[in-house]
Amino acid sequence: MTEISTDSAAIDLRHASFSYGGAPQLSDVTARIERGEAVALVGPNGSGKSTLLKGILGLVDVVDGEITVLGGSPREALRRVGYLAQLSEVDREFPISLRQVVTMGRYRSLGPFGWPGRRERELVDAAITRVGLAPHAHRRFGELSGGQQQRALLARALTVEPEILLLDEPFNGLDRANRSALLDTLNSLRAEGVTIVTSTHDLELAREVCTRAMLLNRTLIAFGSVEETLKLPLVERTFEGTVAHVDGHNIIPVPPEHG
Amino acid sequence: MGFFELAILEAALLGALSGIVGTIVVLRRRAFFTVALTHATFPGGVIAALLGLNILLGAAVFSIVLVGIMLVISRVDRQGSQVASGVVLTFGFALGALLQSLNRDMSVQVDTFLIGNILTVSPGDIAVTAGVLVLAVLCVLFAGKQLLFSSFDPQGYRLAGFRPVAIDLVVLGLIAATVVVSMPAVGSILAIALIAGPAVSARLIMRRIEWMIPLAVLFGLVSGVGGLWVSRVFSVAAGGGIALTACAIVMLAVAYDRVRQYRAERSANGGREA
Amino acid sequence: MWTATILSPSHPSTDSPVDLGFFFDPFSVPFMARALTTVLVLAVASGIVGVFINLRNLEFISDGLVHAVFPGLVVGFVASGTDGLLPGALVAGVLAALLLTVASRRGVGSDAAIAVVLAGSFSIGIVIVSRETNYVSQLEQLLFGGVLTVTPSQLTQIIIVGVVAVVLVVITWRRQLFLALDPVGSRAAGYRSLPTEIVLNCAIALLVVAGSQALGNLLVLALLVVPVAIARLLVRRLMLLAPLAIISAALAGWLGLVTSFHASISYGITASPGSLIVIILITLYAVALLGHLLVERIRTARRAVPHTCFEHTGQHPVLDLDQDVSARRRWSARFRRAV
Repeated sequence: MTEISTDSAAIDLRHASFSYGGAPQLSDVTARIERGEAVALVGPNGSGKSTLLKGILGLVDVVDGEITVLGGSPREALRRVGYLAQLSEVDREFPISLRQVVTMGRYRSLGPFGWPGRRERELVDAAITRVGLAPHAHRRFGELSGGQQQRALLARALTVEPEILLLDEPFNGLDRANRSALLDTLNSLRAEGVTIVTSTHDLELAREVCTRAMLLNRTLIAFGSVEETLKLPLVERTFEGTVAHVDGHNIIPVPPEHG
Repeated sequence: MGFFELAILEAALLGALSGIVGTIVVLRRRAFFTVALTHATFPGGVIAALLGLNILLGAAVFSIVLVGIMLVISRVDRQGSQVASGVVLTFGFALGALLQSLNRDMSVQVDTFLIGNILTVSPGDIAVTAGVLVLAVLCVLFAGKQLLFSSFDPQGYRLAGFRPVAIDLVVLGLIAATVVVSMPAVGSILAIALIAGPAVSARLIMRRIEWMIPLAVLFGLVSGVGGLWVSRVFSVAAGGGIALTACAIVMLAVAYDRVRQYRAERSANGGREA
Repeated sequence: MWTATILSPSHPSTDSPVDLGFFFDPFSVPFMARALTTVLVLAVASGIVGVFINLRNLEFISDGLVHAVFPGLVVGFVASGTDGLLPGALVAGVLAALLLTVASRRGVGSDAAIAVVLAGSFSIGIVIVSRETNYVSQLEQLLFGGVLTVTPSQLTQIIIVGVVAVVLVVITWRRQLFLALDPVGSRAAGYRSLPTEIVLNCAIALLVVAGSQALGNLLVLALLVVPVAIARLLVRRLMLLAPLAIISAALAGWLGLVTSFHASISYGITASPGSLIVIILITLYAVALLGHLLVERIRTARRAVPHTCFEHTGQHPVLDLDQDVSARRRWSARFRRAV
């Protein structure tokens, strides 16, 4: 067992480069994310946002530099990290209820032969209530709307009682109601001291949820408080001139393929 | 026990086994893989018959080889799992046919492998089938969570820190074992009817996963035993009778599903008008 | 000493009529010539249709069609012998094409649905044939065919059915390709996918019908699937897929026939020519696969020093569906203009 001190940073990157084999997707990132912080990852498509999230999960190799998560290696920290994937390849026609989907989050800690007991049921119910889906708990997963499915998968990530929550473009394609429900959940988690790292295209949301922002484009462009980093020159540099609208302090980058 | 009692016992055991494994096949979308494997065990049976070994053994060894080849091909870019299944399937068949044509005077005839003969199963075959059935039940009891999670959300399963390779191997092993023990009774081509049919029917009728396996097992039993009875009454090949019964149950399930949908739509419309 | 050992094996090749005769003489016999013509016709047709099977991942549906044609063969055969094969198979093939098109559009459960259609139709065939006396030899004949016993009138039928299959695909090839490479774009451009899918599935069914009489019902699938798989291992260029597939299928067919001829004449071994053809075809596939894996290994070793991240983007329309997104977009743009 490795000694994990509680005063270590949530995530500590020192000149880290990540690669799926071949050229690095993202190189030379140095940043220290403290516990309880909420960080937005901002950058164009293919800039390495998802790669960084997967690097924190230990799913992408660190080919250069170093990364520690909760004081240890990403693999050691995996059980204390929750993750909400971008385009989940879940089978939406699967004959399974929302509650069963959320229960899957507990499987890891149950071991190979255990079955969910009382503690598991309580955690699952708490997570479902937290994302506001309690009335739908016994509906079939496939019958829920896309936004509700997204919230259910967030609930699944919450059942591991994560110290760090990673989200990949959580607000893509959500309607108003689901978006504000998700925002509420994230803000309450932050208030409890959960570290949140989320990638997003939406700078407005980055401002609403996050305290700090990391600008990425295949390497680290800037990392600092939201006020310092989300400024026109830096954002323009990150998006390489594809920023379309500038009005006062709202800078809304347009993803290249829609432009 | 007479040969017909033995046949009924084998049909019942196979039906139950197919219900369990078929549910896994259907939920993990492994139908083409299973079809490829059923076809590919044919040369294994022929080789074993030529060498004078147990046909089950030959089919088992050959199916392991072919699963390996399929795994290699499916990982090559621009090939994929469909191509892998297609290549292995045709390879198995051509090899079986070639060996068969080279040994015309072989004592075992080709239909033994292709459509099976449940009326000649030995107590040994039945014991092996029962053994695989027990194995399948144990797998579902002890690895049920992992099977469920990895079938529903393969990516999430990996991210939760599980090893997908382990569960994949369990599934491949179960499918291969089922295909192999089906061969003496229903043959390599028709085994897929008994594996896919009951599970598809159960899925159409049941919206909850907990009930899918019991219902699929029930349908498997009905297909096996009922099909045997059908084949006796109409004096047709037993494998064909079993496969057709399984397919008839699917058709009834489709009809049931349609009627239910129609009713749901009508009551929804009626509610709106009222 | 060295010269002697090197020269002596090459000596027969200067005496070229003998050497080449080994490969060409068998076809002076009429039934062998017919067998070769049959195989070449099937190679050309399946090379063209097979490209779309591969690009659309229709291997399982093709297998379904193969099995679904079987009861048609059986009914035709039981009703009126060899003459009944074609009409029976045609009816079953077209019905199955329609049924499987519907089954495959169900989305998630589609592969299980295909499996049920496949097994159901095949067992109908088995049940009917099992009521015949001496059914085992008939079953064998229907499943594994007899390329050496193709009659002149059967050959004419095979050519006609094969040509119809190719024509169906050729007159719709832009739509087929558009649908294969960019299903969403194709729909957005206003093309309904259902007719396009039905046409392709009917073409596959026709080819299965044509091939069933010669190669046998179950071995046809090899011609539909394997040659294009070989071509995709060898090249990335879309337009080269069909020619390469045709060449490999023709080569396998020719070598298979020659081998079975000599095995039978010289050694008295009766090897089923249909299965020999398929085994040789799959050997070619294995060679191509190993070569491909070797090349990839060398390439990744060289790529250790990265310089650019878009190395596949060339000047020509390159097709690599799995990796080259830009090529896909380029093709898609072409179709939007052209169709």
